[in-house]
Amino acid sequence: MRRVDGELLLFWLVPFLGITWVCAFLVFPGFVHPMSPTLSADQVAAFYRDPANLPRIRYSMVVFNWFGIGLIPFLSLIVMQIGRMAHPTPILQFCYLGCLTGGPTLFTIADLFWLLAAFRPERPAELTQLFNDIAWVTFIGQVGFLIAQCAFLALAIYLDRQARPVFPRWVAHFNLLVAAALAPASFVGLALSGPLAWDGLLSFWVRNAAIALWIVTMTWVMGRNIYARHGAETVVP
Amino acid sequence: MSASIAAAVTPRPSGLPGRIAWHWRHDPKAELWIIWYAMVFFYILFGIVFVLLTHVIPPPQPYWDPPRVVQWFNDHHYGLLSGFGIIFLVTGLVAACNALIGYSIWRMSVSPAFAYSYIAIYSLSATPGLLLTAIALTVGAMRPERNPDLIYWLYDMAIMCFDGTMGVFLIGTLVWMIAILIDKNNVFPKWFGYLNICNLITEFVVAPAWVFKSGVFSWNGTIAFWIDTVVFAIFTVAFITLLKRVIVRDDFGTGPLPDGDARTAIHPEA
Repeated sequence: MRRVDGELLLFWLVPFLGITWVCAFLVFPGFVHPMSPTLSADQVAAFYRDPANLPRIRYSMVVFNWFGIGLIPFLSLIVMQIGRMAHPTPILQFCYLGCLTGGPTLFTIADLFWLLAAFRPERPAELTQLFNDIAWVTFIGQVGFLIAQCAFLALAIYLDRQARPVFPRWVAHFNLLVAAALAPASFVGLALSGPLAWDGLLSFWVRNAAIALWIVTMTWVMGRNIYARHGAETVVP
Repeated sequence: MSASIAAAVTPRPSGLPGRIAWHWRHDPKAELWIIWYAMVFFYILFGIVFVLLTHVIPPPQPYWDPPRVVQWFNDHHYGLLSGFGIIFLVTGLVAACNALIGYSIWRMSVSPAFAYSYIAIYSLSATPGLLLTAIALTVGAMRPERNPDLIYWLYDMAIMCFDGTMGVFLIGTLVWMIAILIDKNNVFPKWFGYLNICNLITEFVVAPAWVFKSGVFSWNGTIAFWIDTVVFAIFTVAFITLLKRVIVRDDFGTGPLPDGDARTAIHPEA
């Protein structure tokens, strides 16, 4: 009989989350054409006061508040996979475990500041601009845990020396590539325009595309692994 | 298993690159050493950023007025923005430090609950104790023309998050201390358990910084800052050194750690 361990349930949360994330991303008026950091305080306040924007800001950020955290169960499945690798100690599992709440926690802080800015848009413009700055710097610049997560997974895969490794080696190369793509966003504070600015090519588009590509690719890789393992377990009664 | 057999038959070459490659291929402790070096790298970088680039250690004055604070931001504009960019980039290495200490606790005779609570508490610590500081100072530095009163608020938020985040370090250190003192596997010497008490007490000593804006108890005062920082520095150097000894002595067993180098215990043929 098939043993029910619930991993498939956690796995199938990911496509559902993906849909909510894409929808919320498209609804938030500050993402599709990312807000420029060069806007004046009055222009930022006008963005939040605009009756066409305000409900979209609130609803998209409420959805992100609900589901932004949702990737943690999937990341925990990756911790399980690291545990199945041929390592003499659990230290790389501990490393990954120590990272996985970091990204979602920081994203939640950004989300709260966007929601606060939208809560009383009549507030003095300079305060709305301050909340908006904190939200954007926290959202774009906080890539450290994501980079480390990719690097720790890559390290775990390289050191998984057994006849049938848990992940193929290209997954490690891919994770390092994603880590490199995320790195420039750390320096978001250095420029208000150009590729490093929070609406720039590197900090916004490359960073977010790398995260999206990572989620899609890792979902596919993890799906294959989990189904293969469950298939193997059902053969043996 | 394959690694230990290979270690027995593959001689270790001379020369640094050759030795690094050998350890990567054949040393079963490679994962522990990589994490240990990551920890050392993180603390060195942390020192460079906080002391040399951003000038947050030693801290600026808590009694300055807003114009003086704005001047401080302007004096260190690029240092703050590039320094905290580096911190944002390498934040995740905090997880390496926590994992290695967590592993050292996991290797003790105590319940794994100690290791799990240490890792959970310290995973949380980076957000209030490090990143909120870095975010607030980045936001403060990126717009020098912002209203000085708002820059003043970012300044307080930054320095007080950095110095005034206490509970995570208090309870985290307490968990580690209890584990060391009741451990039967001799992972750490008992004197280090007592040194944990000193580090733990600093978290009480710093609390008055939330009240006083000048004097020995303020955020840059002799008691709240300097004594605490010296204790923390001694504590950090001690645990980095002791963790290195733990890795050398580790035999991947569950009983007491051998006193000497465990390499011969793992590879008796070597």
